[in-house]
Amino acid sequence: MASVIKSPQSRDVSPQRRASRQNFETWSWLFMRVSGIILFFLALVHFFIMHILHDVTTTTVAFVAARYQNPLWKIFDWLLLSLGLLHGTNGLRYIMDDYVRSPLKRVLVKSTVYGVSGILFFVGTLTIITFK
Amino acid sequence: MSPSSTMYKGKTGQWAFVLHRITGFLVFMFILLHIVDVSTLNSPHIYNSIHKLYGNIFLRLFEVGLLFALLYHALNGLRVVMIDFFPKAIKNEKGVFLFMLSLAGVMTLVGAVYILKPFFTGKV
Repeated sequence: MASVIKSPQSRDVSPQRRASRQNFETWSWLFMRVSGIILFFLALVHFFIMHILHDVTTTTVAFVAARYQNPLWKIFDWLLLSLGLLHGTNGLRYIMDDYVRSPLKRVLVKSTVYGVSGILFFVGTLTIITFK
Repeated sequence: MSPSSTMYKGKTGQWAFVLHRITGFLVFMFILLHIVDVSTLNSPHIYNSIHKLYGNIFLRLFEVGLLFALLYHALNGLRVVMIDFFPKAIKNEKGVFLFMLSLAGVMTLVGAVYILKPFFTGKV
């Protein structure tokens, strides 16, 4: 009788908790694909306009002011900010799950990363809203 | 789960995965920095001097690196989506990976001309 070797990531948790975790991971997987396709366009269009059509030294405050005359660019930038942060934070979550093995370190590293992402989401949103 | 059930197997697939992870990490780190530099928008003096700083040759080379990371991550991401959603449509995974990698490389070289030229000619 061969003994069953448990996956290193498996922990003894209740079936309900395991099911809800698997459910979350399925949504996470789908989110990465859908947000990835949207970000493909948002990020590449943003880079093309800001770094190829224009030079980085000419994208001054005056440039942003002219651009933000059209509120659609504000929405574009805010979508790029929020989807980019969510997609990146979730990607970093995969990396942390793979490399940060000790439970204590994992809590510390994850709360730091989520905290920084949350603060920067707030800062970025505020920047777009309060710009005059 | 048995090892044979995983989607990501074989040599090129693993390199594609490693490169995807590294480029994703780097792009994300840049986004964090970028949110901070853009947050100075309401202090025009600081914002404009930061963007002048971005014009030096080292940060322009960094910008070219960012372009490659972004292009590779975006193109290989499309390949991953294709593998997951249309497994039959993508028969030659290795070929598609090499195509995406080359496309990212060529597009980076073209972009590098636009990004680096103003530094040498002084014209923007």
